[in-house]
Amino acid sequence: MLNTTLIILAIFIIAFAGFAIYDLATAKRRKEVYRVKSSLTAYLMLLPAIVLAFLFIMLPILYSLGYAFTDYYLLKPNDINFIWFDNFKAFFSELATKGTLYHAIKNTIVFVVGVVPLQIGTALLLSLFVNRPGIGSKIFKVCFFAPVVISLSVTSFLWLQILAPGENGLLNSLLGIFGVAPHDWLRDPNTAMPCIIVLSAWQGCGYQMLIFLSGLSNIRKELYEAASLDGANGWRKFWLVTWPGLRSTFVYIIITVFIGACRILTQPMLMTGYQDHTVTLSYYMYQQGYTFRWVGQSSAVALIMTIFIGAITLIQRRVFREKK
Amino acid sequence: MDKNLVKDLPNFRPNKKPAKNTVKAIIYHVVGIVLSLIFLFPIIYMLATSTKSESAYASSLGSLNMFLPDFANLGTMFANYESVLVNYDIWKYALNSFIYAAIVIVLNVLINGLAGYVMAKLRFPGKRLLSFLIIFLIVVPVETSIIPLYSIVKIMLGLKQEMSVLGVILPATISIFNVFLFTQFFEGIPKEYEEAARIDGANTMGVFAKVIMPLSKPIIATVAVFCFIGVWNDYLWPSMILPSANDGSWPLLPIQTALMSIQSIEGITTGEIMASLIITSIPIFIIYVAAQKYIVQGFGTAGLKM
Repeated sequence: MLNTTLIILAIFIIAFAGFAIYDLATAKRRKEVYRVKSSLTAYLMLLPAIVLAFLFIMLPILYSLGYAFTDYYLLKPNDINFIWFDNFKAFFSELATKGTLYHAIKNTIVFVVGVVPLQIGTALLLSLFVNRPGIGSKIFKVCFFAPVVISLSVTSFLWLQILAPGENGLLNSLLGIFGVAPHDWLRDPNTAMPCIIVLSAWQGCGYQMLIFLSGLSNIRKELYEAASLDGANGWRKFWLVTWPGLRSTFVYIIITVFIGACRILTQPMLMTGYQDHTVTLSYYMYQQGYTFRWVGQSSAVALIMTIFIGAITLIQRRVFREKK
Repeated sequence: MDKNLVKDLPNFRPNKKPAKNTVKAIIYHVVGIVLSLIFLFPIIYMLATSTKSESAYASSLGSLNMFLPDFANLGTMFANYESVLVNYDIWKYALNSFIYAAIVIVLNVLINGLAGYVMAKLRFPGKRLLSFLIIFLIVVPVETSIIPLYSIVKIMLGLKQEMSVLGVILPATISIFNVFLFTQFFEGIPKEYEEAARIDGANTMGVFAKVIMPLSKPIIATVAVFCFIGVWNDYLWPSMILPSANDGSWPLLPIQTALMSIQSIEGITTGEIMASLIITSIPIFIIYVAAQKYIVQGFGTAGLKM
């Protein structure tokens, strides 16, 4: 491990030196002047950030890339062998036999497909609702934002009480008033994921509401007045003025919420534990790498996730750029 | 003449419009109150339950009292808070989190601020590679490399339990996104400020410490606030890197990780759990209220420009 790290460090330094020399060689053409003293000061001031970024950001990414093709077991750091695509082949067989990975992928897709429209749609409606002058709308804004202040683990523990099985749970006792029998919300495969989707959207959407609001405040008032003069009603105003004006905000929100949703881990971890009906990709990755200590396999999942998230982000950006 | 008539036309029915608006306003506020209650019911439930003993909680179930404090025993309203703070030492874990956050904020602002200053103001060979790396590393999803990060930090720090505290702090001190934030802000500071200081004989470090930093209070506040929220709310990483998170006996756990072990203490009441959740949330609540301006600035300036 130390040897590999040193080799990576050497490659990094050589690459940096190469680019630095290239910069020096082309300095005249770019009409750039480098001074020795100022450059040395710059390197010195950058040093802490570069060392930390190398250790805690770049190395993990590179290692995650490399470990994906090995059989690294955490307790045997001196016995790492390249097994190339065997980790990925194992995934296919696990998918075919509907093992945990199959459920992890399925649940992650269910979560993303559920939470992205729910959270963004709610956030958009709430922002349109509170986007008017007056003390009332300000108070409502604070109320809608309040859940954001609560951390994910507190949210999970709180909803664990709300969704508690038997008659002691808040939801069950509320439903009991209407004569509905108590339900074990988090153990029933049909209700566990929907519950996690709802509480995640509840916790998060206030934040997106604020971003939508700042997008709404950037739309010029005259556009609405012009639309009114042309006889547009509220619905047409929304489609003709608000929606086009919000597009860049909207794409930014879709990307961030989507990436956040793909990474979901804390809620199922704290609320249900490692169960087939709520395990997600991040949770599977964590369990494989941390609890079971199969770093190789875990890194292979991480690699697939990184490529997937990266690709979707690029696609979303491209769509955004074309429409801009 | 005709024009004036048309113009004055709405004044013939002066009462209609205000009446319609009042009805609209009432409907708006009723809908708003209903929506707010739907959003706040878990929090109201949490606050109400935290004031109740286990028997009072059990008897309140299935009625409106679930969302109301225990009026019969208002004198012992804070008994659960007392017991959580005294018996379960939650104040110690809160203090731990404060200390972790304070160290991370200072180091994060210094390290990333320096890097941002260099990227914004200084010229040196190799700068273009670093600018490219910054953009690249912001885009790459970092969370997926948490397992390799764990193995690197474990090997770096060795087996001593005390060292694992560094494992909580060090990775949090570097944030490429904060470097990016600082760079953007520093680029907006006019050159004249620096030149004036240089004429007075200050060197680069002096310019950074005496000119740039004092001008950058808003961005420092933004970074500090986000650092605090990040460290305070982080559950996963401390639970991985710190020893024996499950038995909860280790004294240096941060609060979110300690919550997990407090939850599973034998005989803890629902009211006590809720009190511990509220105590955990209060500092973040205060931060959001006090630093609202900087939080909005944070995602207003940097977020939307991506």
